[in-house]
Amino acid sequence: MVPLDVLVMQLSPNLLVRQVITGISIGSWLFLVAVGLSLIFGVLDVLNFTHGVLFMIGAYMAVVTTVGGGGVPGLSLILVPLVDVWPLHPFWLGIVVAGVTVGLLGGIVESGFIRRVYDREPLDQLLLTFAFVLMLTDLTRVVFGTGQYAIRPPEVFRFTIQVTEGVRVGGYRLFVIGMAVLIMLVLFTVLDRTNIGRVTRATSSDRDMASLLGINVPRLYTGVFIAGAVLAGIGGALAAPLQSVTTSLGNQVIIYAFVVAVIGGLGSFVGAFVGAMIIGLLLALGSQIIQGGGTLFPYVAMIIVLVFRPEGLFGEVEA
Amino acid sequence: MSVLELSDVDAYYGNSHVLFDMEMAVEENDIVVLLGRNGAGKTTTLRSITGTVPRRTGSIVYRGRDISRDSVDRISNAGIKLVPEGRRIFPTLTVTENLQVAHNACSNPRDIEEMFDIFPVLDDLRQSKGQNLSGGEQQMLSVARALVQNPDLLLLDEPTEGLAPVIVKDLMEVLSDVVEEDVTVILTEQNVNFSLELAERAYIIEKGSPVWDGTVDELRDRDDLLEEYLSVSAAE
Repeated sequence: MVPLDVLVMQLSPNLLVRQVITGISIGSWLFLVAVGLSLIFGVLDVLNFTHGVLFMIGAYMAVVTTVGGGGVPGLSLILVPLVDVWPLHPFWLGIVVAGVTVGLLGGIVESGFIRRVYDREPLDQLLLTFAFVLMLTDLTRVVFGTGQYAIRPPEVFRFTIQVTEGVRVGGYRLFVIGMAVLIMLVLFTVLDRTNIGRVTRATSSDRDMASLLGINVPRLYTGVFIAGAVLAGIGGALAAPLQSVTTSLGNQVIIYAFVVAVIGGLGSFVGAFVGAMIIGLLLALGSQIIQGGGTLFPYVAMIIVLVFRPEGLFGEVEA
Repeated sequence: MSVLELSDVDAYYGNSHVLFDMEMAVEENDIVVLLGRNGAGKTTTLRSITGTVPRRTGSIVYRGRDISRDSVDRISNAGIKLVPEGRRIFPTLTVTENLQVAHNACSNPRDIEEMFDIFPVLDDLRQSKGQNLSGGEQQMLSVARALVQNPDLLLLDEPTEGLAPVIVKDLMEVLSDVVEEDVTVILTEQNVNFSLELAERAYIIEKGSPVWDGTVDELRDRDDLLEEYLSVSAAE
């Protein structure tokens, strides 16, 4: 085995700092996907494969809104007038549109279909959500075409901050990192301090007892699924300026989101955050250590966790 | 009019048929105990009332309305509250949070502070997680969680199971006070002495059907019944 310091020596200090920042930035938007996946699994006990597609649709909606809403038949009818009356930069409207659209879509998928398979075995749930992945991916291709979309962040983020001599971070990357931290704090506070948070925690630990206390569990499930979908939509919108948006985005993202969730522990928010940062850093640093082989490291980490700590770093062992 | 009336109730877990033509009528402010051996169908009777048994047929009329097709949460919101077997405290929530969840899920709850007056032992444990409580403390919390919802009909499933005798005595005192109030109670209990002390009427269930019902006073004199259906010897 090659000692770690030999590996790190191949990175100049500047490159190291830059890759760490890139890693944190990647980790931040991975967190935005993984946290919704983790929330839905933690409460509903369903592995929601559609999560990546929801993220992708969020990215598309943000892109189309940001460029003024035009170009997509049907959608432009609604989006163009909306952009006209919107007082701020259309990118902000894009985040809202992404959250709302994907939230609605999530609500339809849960209350119409996934709700009916809660009591089935995981394989049925997985197949059902996978069918939605394929369908929604094709539908996205029909609506948005097969081309690549790319947008630039709003002008306010066109600044950089110097971290060390020769290393500068873009304003938008900092914003995404800030949003990830903010969303984690908000979620944590809601779950820890509010009534809906307590009810969610209670139901996730004993759904039948929650019903016995008069809690409408199906309605709560729909609400949690929508919340997870909104997070995916917002995550997609925030990630849109960082990379090109194509129909393969959903699949890329869902795989990493599962890796993050497995490493952090499915159902744990802190786990999702730490897991996302670990994967982000492994991707960014790994690509420097083995040229073109950075994507190896997250899977190696996942295998190690699965074998030696199957509940994940922050997961609770099921009683 | 009876508070609760079960007629021809059958209940099933998958392919296994557990209750057969269950009949029962509970009057206002009754304290009814369901007696019978393990597996006789006592818990299943309670689960049929709360709607948590996978399949049930027949009619279950609560205050004039058939609830046998209602969802679990709807039955609960109608005023029927269960203290389940095994207590079912939310393990990762604190004592206060367990009570808050119940309190906020109910349209006409009692005050949470009142529960700490009734159960002083819980007052010192407000911030303790459910999973860190002793069995006795969990049972107190489970009863408090049902009481804070201001039950009209309270169901207690094996409340003394696994508790030390001294805790059973405490619980008895609390429940004696509770049943004095304006509440109708159905309980199942292995501990015959406990239940005969608390209850006024009894049903004996055998193989999923009721075989005897009457007052507790009548039952005390029926050593034959106690021996035949509950394996309690007359000497006890």
